[in-house]
Amino acid sequence: MFENILFLSSAVLALSGALGVVFTKNLMHACVLLLATLFGVSGLYAVIGADFLAAAQLVIYAGGVIILMLFAVMLTGGAANNENKFGIDKVAAMGSVKTYIYAGLTVLVMSFTILKILANYMKTFEQGELAPFESTVEKIGTLLVTDHVLAFEISSILLLGALVGAAAIARPRRG
Amino acid sequence: MSLSINEYLNQFEAHQQAIAFLSDFLGTDASGIMTFLVFGAACFIIVNIMALVGGLGTYAERKISADIQLRQGPNRVGPYGILQFLADGVKMIMKEDIFPADADKPLFNLAPLLALTGVFATLALVPFSSGFTLVNLNMGVFFLIGVSSLVGVAVFLGGYASNSKWSMLGGMRGASQIISYEVPVTITALMIVLLSGGMSFGAFVETQGGLPHEWYIFHNPFTFIGFFVFFVGMLAETNRAPFDLPEAESELVSGYHTEYTGMRFGLFALAEYIEVFVLCGVGVAAFLGGYKVPFDLGSGALFIDKLGLPVIVGKNIGQVLQVGSFVTKTLAMYYLVIWVRWTFPRIRVDQVMTICWKYLTPLALFNLVGVAIWMYAFDAHSIWEVLGQAFSSGH
Repeated sequence: MFENILFLSSAVLALSGALGVVFTKNLMHACVLLLATLFGVSGLYAVIGADFLAAAQLVIYAGGVIILMLFAVMLTGGAANNENKFGIDKVAAMGSVKTYIYAGLTVLVMSFTILKILANYMKTFEQGELAPFESTVEKIGTLLVTDHVLAFEISSILLLGALVGAAAIARPRRG
Repeated sequence: MSLSINEYLNQFEAHQQAIAFLSDFLGTDASGIMTFLVFGAACFIIVNIMALVGGLGTYAERKISADIQLRQGPNRVGPYGILQFLADGVKMIMKEDIFPADADKPLFNLAPLLALTGVFATLALVPFSSGFTLVNLNMGVFFLIGVSSLVGVAVFLGGYASNSKWSMLGGMRGASQIISYEVPVTITALMIVLLSGGMSFGAFVETQGGLPHEWYIFHNPFTFIGFFVFFVGMLAETNRAPFDLPEAESELVSGYHTEYTGMRFGLFALAEYIEVFVLCGVGVAAFLGGYKVPFDLGSGALFIDKLGLPVIVGKNIGQVLQVGSFVTKTLAMYYLVIWVRWTFPRIRVDQVMTICWKYLTPLALFNLVGVAIWMYAFDAHSIWEVLGQAFSSGH
């Protein structure tokens, strides 16, 4: 009962936020609606018992990424002039005929592949029971420094690279 | 052993009888309904008391600042002017509700609510006592940091949506300051996570003791430095002076809430004062022993065994003592925050970033590594135990 309520409210929040992001014309509003979506997704994680993931979602996305996005939107200035010389709203073409053909073919191939994979699971769909809730922090921590230590270290190198790159770009030019 | 309010009540027979009675009355299993009711009642109490604390916070701020500046402060409304915040509330409700021309209306409405939502969501984790916590999440600190960053979004949106240059500058300063200072505060909290072996506030407090030498602030030199890193970071995260650049009156009129009137402005102010209380509570739980009462009076075992009181009475006396201990320490820290505000001048905006990235963050990292080494070298014993062993072994 309670899990159903939590699931439904999270799902509605995530979906309505996502639809809002797509349909709104204001970039700032899109960012705020994305915040609602991320909260909904965090709620979905909480429903399936992934408490660490839910909290990490809040810390990283709601706290950091959304504010950075708002900053980025503000610093890039937004669409200043979206009318052409006849006073009609410009519609971005987003590609040419060639790119559309490529994209269409890719979508076809990908969707057939995914359908082929999913077909096995679609038939035998049963509603299962969730395992009783237990904390995932210890498990994630242990796995990160034992089985998945390589992935962990590689991602830290990626972050280090990003940090060095940012410092190199922001460095004042001397001489 | 730290319990949420429902787990705490469930250990009493009277509560079980109430559930059984309700089950009989309704004809179904009422334990879920009872849980819901208890949560509802506890939420109602906590939110109302916290709103009162927020209101009295504005009064305390004025009275203490008046004390420091040799003035009277509010002294007309009620005894010693203590009802001043109610008068303020009435005034704010009756103010005209102004939308600036060309303001972004939905976001302008949303920003104060978002600030209040972020702060009230953190109230669920504040460990008032070992039995009076809404929920003892084992993600405690992490969740609290995540949710309270909503306030940063709210400050930024408030600044943006007002369509005013002052607000805009204040909002940008606020957001950049809040996300910057989250780094040292989070690393400092990680230090306590290392020591206590858990991320929940229950684990934080239960591994400390009631007397000062058992608190984490005096556990070893690194945690002692860490407490001050946390305190400075906390001041900056709540936009309190000397880090109140987002609302610097001398430069930005009133910063991100320049254009807000009436109760919308009131919500921002309320959110700020409650957030200060919550973060002081986090500091107390992490460093100053939280709700622990000396000589283990908090568990109530002494009252039950020696005085022969019934279990329910003894335990609840213990709980009241624990709440008293927690609230006293938190309010002392609250006083310190206000004291700092009226003592130090505001620092410049580049100095804010310098303090965060060049001093506090390296210091916090140093502390984290230091605590890890300390735990390895001295097997997680506090400095007093180490010194005591050194002296008693005759060196």
